Amino acid sequence: MTISLDDCRVLVVDDNEFNRKSLSLLLLRSGLRNIAFAADGIDGLAKVETFRPDLVLLDVAMPNMNGLEMCRRLRADPRHADLPILFQTALDRDEEQVACFNAGGNDFISKPIRPGECVARVRHQLERRKLFRDLTAFRERVQKELLHAHAMQVSLLPEPRRIAELAERYGLDITSHFETSSELGGDLWSVFDIDADRVGFLIVDFAGHGITAAINTFRLHTLFERSSVCRADPAEWLTYLNTALKDVLPTGQFATAFYCVLDKRTHLLTFAGAGAPNPILGVDGDLTLLDSSGLLLGISHHAKYRTRQVLLPPGGFLLLYSDALLECRNADGVPFGQEALLAQVRRTMAAGQRPADPVSMVLEPFLRQVARPLRDDLTLIWIGRR
Amino acid sequence: MEFHARNLADAIEARLTGRLEFTDHDRLRDIVALLDAPNLRRFVVDVSGLDFIDSAGLGMILILQEEAEQKNIKLIVRGPRNDVKRSIDLAKIGEIVSIEY
Repeated sequence: MTISLDDCRVLVVDDNEFNRKSLSLLLLRSGLRNIAFAADGIDGLAKVETFRPDLVLLDVAMPNMNGLEMCRRLRADPRHADLPILFQTALDRDEEQVACFNAGGNDFISKPIRPGECVARVRHQLERRKLFRDLTAFRERVQKELLHAHAMQVSLLPEPRRIAELAERYGLDITSHFETSSELGGDLWSVFDIDADRVGFLIVDFAGHGITAAINTFRLHTLFERSSVCRADPAEWLTYLNTALKDVLPTGQFATAFYCVLDKRTHLLTFAGAGAPNPILGVDGDLTLLDSSGLLLGISHHAKYRTRQVLLPPGGFLLLYSDALLECRNADGVPFGQEALLAQVRRTMAAGQRPADPVSMVLEPFLRQVARPLRDDLTLIWIGRR
Repeated sequence: MEFHARNLADAIEARLTGRLEFTDHDRLRDIVALLDAPNLRRFVVDVSGLDFIDSAGLGMILILQEEAEQKNIKLIVRGPRNDVKRSIDLAKIGEIVSIEY
């Protein structure tokens, strides 16, 4: 790979005018046109500020301030921490050459200068700097874009104002937590107001995480808007989502899901699962794991989902969560697990009739033992009936 | 995940051990390559030595199933235990892949 170095700037620092001239001739012949000169270390430091070189070719023995001291001062300034500095030295003893590196030099060339070697070393340092800068710029751009994409992804979730409004309308306490493993994730949850009595909750987790999984959450979200399918029947709603996803997802990409409809008049919770972790139902101090088994969404056109029913009377609650809560492991490699989760939900229940922030309480021991950022996307939704 | 393949009388068997998860996608290619054996009709994935499978791991089994189906090879997943059995059952993988318990 040939990299154009035409626009690179080289500062030659040498107290000997003949040396300065011969070096500049060499550099000009190799295609470098932006060259500036300094006669000692003090002059050199000033030129670094005004000329902004991409490389400094630095003599060691100079009056006023020698090359080693100039190099040390440049390295002490974070702005110049990775400015390539190439020493040129007539001192060929081992410890003298080591002194160049210890002062912060990247490399050295021995005097008398051999033209081929000199140009090759200059090019090598400049190419390295250019590649490193390109990579840094690329990284910064990707990070910025991921940040934007993350904000877009969060905007797919129900807005706090809408959650509060629906909670009021259906007599619920709703708290939630959403945290992606890298900048983007494959989790999504949503809430659907069906009629005056019934409200639906959906939690979805696309396999994997990162950009692919995140794009799939956007695909799914567009289905929410488009569909006129009846969301009152969980099996029917999952069947619709499954068919639509199967049409667009390649093999190996799919989602787990759980969808439930709560009827505040009959107290019935109607639900269907597609392989999501078992939601926890809390009624009268008893905890039940709901059956959320079902074929993953997006695998087969023939998937059949089954609607089931339980009672969720006032005072009871339902906890939906993604598998990260069970599977993320602590420093010893031990996952949090279903038992620990149930125990913590029990403690949260014992804290009072209507805990103010049950999700934070449930998460507290989990977050204490896992490392951030998490290895998988984490979503929790606590739906309590007033 | 580690795997060891061996030839049975009428099939190839790949025995998986450890954890089958997101980071194992590269190993999957090596297992898929086993399906290219001449005149193969049955392919057994023995998961009895597997301690854990995540959703990406389930995805790998589904990819294997599709590859096998295209080559007219019967895929059998044998012996899931504990967490692995729970995950396979929860996701109803048995509706797509033959599981021998």
